[in-house]
Amino acid sequence: MIPANRIVGKQVQFMITCLCDTFYDHVAQASVELLEQVGCLVDVPDGQTCCGQPAFNAGDWESARKVIRHTLRTFTGDQPIIIPSGSCAHMVFHGYQLVFENGTDAEKEAARTLAGRTWEICDFLVNGLGIQTWHGRFDGKISLHRSCHTRGSNTYSAALQLLRSIDGVEILEFDESEQCCGFGGTFSVAYPNTSAAMGTLKIDKLTAVKPDLIGAVDMACMLHLSGLAEKQKRPFRKMHVVEILLQALRNAPTNPPVIHS
Amino acid sequence: MKTSQPIDAFGRDLSQEVKESVYSSSKAKYDKRIGALNAGYIAPDSLRKLAGQIKQHTLENLPSYLESAIGKLEANGAKVHYAKDGEEANATILGIMNAAGATKLIKSKSMVSEEIHLNAFLENNGCESVESDLGEFIVQLDHDMPSHIVTPIVHKNRQQIATTFEKMGLGDYNDDPTTITRRARTYLRKKYLEAEVGLTGANFVSAESGRIVLVTNEGNARFSICANRIHIVLVGIEKLVPRDKDLALFLNLLARSATGQQLTVYTQFINGPKAPDQIDGPGEMHVVFLDNGRSEILAGEFQSILRCIRCGACLNVCPVYRQTSGHAYRAVYPGPVGAVLSPLLAGKRYPEFADLPKASSLCGACNEVCPVDIPLPELLLRHRNKSKLEHIQKASAGTPPLGGWAVLCSTPSMWKSTLTLGKVMDYVPMKLVPVPAVQAWTQTRTLPPFRGGKFRGWYKEHRKHDSGNNQ
Amino acid sequence: MDQQCFLDNIRAAVARNAKPSPTPLPEWDPAMVTSQLAPDTDSDSASLWETFCQRFRAVNGQTIEGIGPLIALLLNADAKHGYLAPELNGPLAGPLQNAGITLESAIDTTRIDDYAFGITRAAGIIAETGSVVINESSTPSRLGALAPWIHVTLIDANTKVFATLVDAIKDLGDEPYVVFATGPSKTADVEGILIEGVHGPGMQICLRL
Repeated sequence: MIPANRIVGKQVQFMITCLCDTFYDHVAQASVELLEQVGCLVDVPDGQTCCGQPAFNAGDWESARKVIRHTLRTFTGDQPIIIPSGSCAHMVFHGYQLVFENGTDAEKEAARTLAGRTWEICDFLVNGLGIQTWHGRFDGKISLHRSCHTRGSNTYSAALQLLRSIDGVEILEFDESEQCCGFGGTFSVAYPNTSAAMGTLKIDKLTAVKPDLIGAVDMACMLHLSGLAEKQKRPFRKMHVVEILLQALRNAPTNPPVIHS
Repeated sequence: MKTSQPIDAFGRDLSQEVKESVYSSSKAKYDKRIGALNAGYIAPDSLRKLAGQIKQHTLENLPSYLESAIGKLEANGAKVHYAKDGEEANATILGIMNAAGATKLIKSKSMVSEEIHLNAFLENNGCESVESDLGEFIVQLDHDMPSHIVTPIVHKNRQQIATTFEKMGLGDYNDDPTTITRRARTYLRKKYLEAEVGLTGANFVSAESGRIVLVTNEGNARFSICANRIHIVLVGIEKLVPRDKDLALFLNLLARSATGQQLTVYTQFINGPKAPDQIDGPGEMHVVFLDNGRSEILAGEFQSILRCIRCGACLNVCPVYRQTSGHAYRAVYPGPVGAVLSPLLAGKRYPEFADLPKASSLCGACNEVCPVDIPLPELLLRHRNKSKLEHIQKASAGTPPLGGWAVLCSTPSMWKSTLTLGKVMDYVPMKLVPVPAVQAWTQTRTLPPFRGGKFRGWYKEHRKHDSGNNQ
Repeated sequence: MDQQCFLDNIRAAVARNAKPSPTPLPEWDPAMVTSQLAPDTDSDSASLWETFCQRFRAVNGQTIEGIGPLIALLLNADAKHGYLAPELNGPLAGPLQNAGITLESAIDTTRIDDYAFGITRAAGIIAETGSVVINESSTPSRLGALAPWIHVTLIDANTKVFATLVDAIKDLGDEPYVVFATGPSKTADVEGILIEGVHGPGMQICLRL
């Protein structure tokens, strides 16, 4: 599903994602800073909105196509597109191709081309730029939530690899790591009982091993999980992997070097 | 919590007891599956892909494989029948029984027979049809429905079973699982020996040899073709595999995926009626190929669901199934496979089951465990799209409309002003927002502070600063 | 429905869904499907037997060697009357009867529970899976191998020894009915609790002579 030989390079475009555009600006900011730390020139196309996934998952493919066409128009050029969300990246790899299966050749081609430029950020660092270990220090025991839409991608393994290489990081093993948090876009409101039950169970499992924080590669899961946890009066500390990576660089005994692959 | 989706409501109202038993049994089967696959293979994933490809190839070439199987089956001495739908299949089976003057049938576990409601049909026509798989037998005694395709009574506990046994005259109340099993053994032995006809399904049919392959752990499919004169095989057209050699791959995958075994206890290869000098076993063999909507599926975008080998792994891993149980899906096939298949098998009654594909967070765990690599999340999505295009209310209930949102997301100026205006969200008590989706969200979750446009503001400054530096 | 109509429907359906790039039928190497639990490909007969015993015991089967241990096992299980496949009379009938065990050479279905054991010949064994191969030629009575609580299969020089499941399937031939029996009959239908001996044997024994 993920195209082979995706475009690599250090002049990149950044996809904010709608959730970081509305709630999690610090994740988007950390992503840009991090990309610059590893020597990238980051462009953020101003016209971008959302990848279209909410409508796609809800079955409203007509609406999804409308948004996707806009995204295809917004991200022109031939640079890699970096996304701080496994789910939005998955949408480009999978959903974009599916909604145009009966579309014009031009649309199919555009969707294919975009997928060939798309990277989830952890995947990009490790498999795009070839960074194998991470510099700096971060003291913390981390439960890293495996966001479902990273299945079949290298995101989770890349995130684990980088985190494990940081001094002071301890990655905790927890039960049922393959299980979903229960967000699922509109599923979270169409199936409120099931969604909340799944999320509660996920929080139980993530926190049972007493982490200092919960690590994420997708803020959508965190929107749901931390919202639930807060309502249940058991809030937890959460960080996107890029925030941890950036923090590690800042904690380095020497000034953070620009990391070259 | 209020919900407009029946499966969500079913899960909400499910007793803690059933929920716990479904959850723990699913988890145990999931763990056993992983253990068995990893004990067997370094790269089990490559086997799934291979099996998926073989099944996909078979479906794309089904007519020629069916012809080959039919030819072999007939050459092996079986009589082959063809049923367009459940009605025809039931009539065919009754016809075979009538012709033989038979009134008693013993049945080993067969999902297709459930699909066509064979038991009820035969009973209405003066025949006895007894389930012999322990779980199915208990379901039959209770006039209940199986809730899992491999472990049908995962929703029942021993006390309930003991009560049923007592009521049905199978001894005084005793909820010891061993006693329950022994009593069923004794009772069903009589039924095996009385029945003139044994009906089985088929896990696989080899196109190369016409071999019918059946697996059971209990031995019911063996006993069902031991003491009787006639063997009827009821089989969906999708059960074919091209070659005998492929059976090794599928048997290895099926046992591991279904129950975490290396191989199911009894694997039977049936190549026609009994040998002439064999003392017991059916001398007459009938194979009923059932279409029942499958050719329609074969013709469309859901084709790959017909790869399914009914292992139940997608149920066991599915978080929604774990929370809601098999009965929530209101059909013979529950869980992710059921959510895809049931609406299709329903034919004209598709809209009645159009909510099933909504019962998923699209987490993809089902695809990850599927031994034939069915892209289940994609098929669920296709259903959702189909329901949307057909304006099926049952599917869309509870899902916020996204037309306005799409306009917003394809008009950057609107998007950006919303980012700024959205701040008001922080000051409006969520309880007062008359949007169902907001209500559904905030009943169990908070929303983080709205920070629309903050990143864009930072980035603008950052760029300015950067270009200043560069000059 | 007649065959023609039935198949025509399916042909039309497949034609409507013709794929631009059809899925080819993959060839696969038996090594790919053979598990890590299988014996090495160059195993001699002794190590095949060893692997078989190990796998068979892993599925709660029992292996015994010699008539003495068989008699001890039967008497210990209070199994004093059973079915002996007639072609095994030669090696087994005398010693068993001398030990006070009575035998029948046919199953009378009106007395199905009178047979505490059934002894039949194994057509083969599969080392990889710990399975016993039972077929029509080796076992003239299906019931004799299924109905009694204890099923003993005799393994002798005529028994084929297959290293892998793939090998055993390759050898199915024209046999109308073949069973791979991998341990005693079992269920976990009631609360996931394992119970052995549901409809078939509760004890699956391999007797090597």
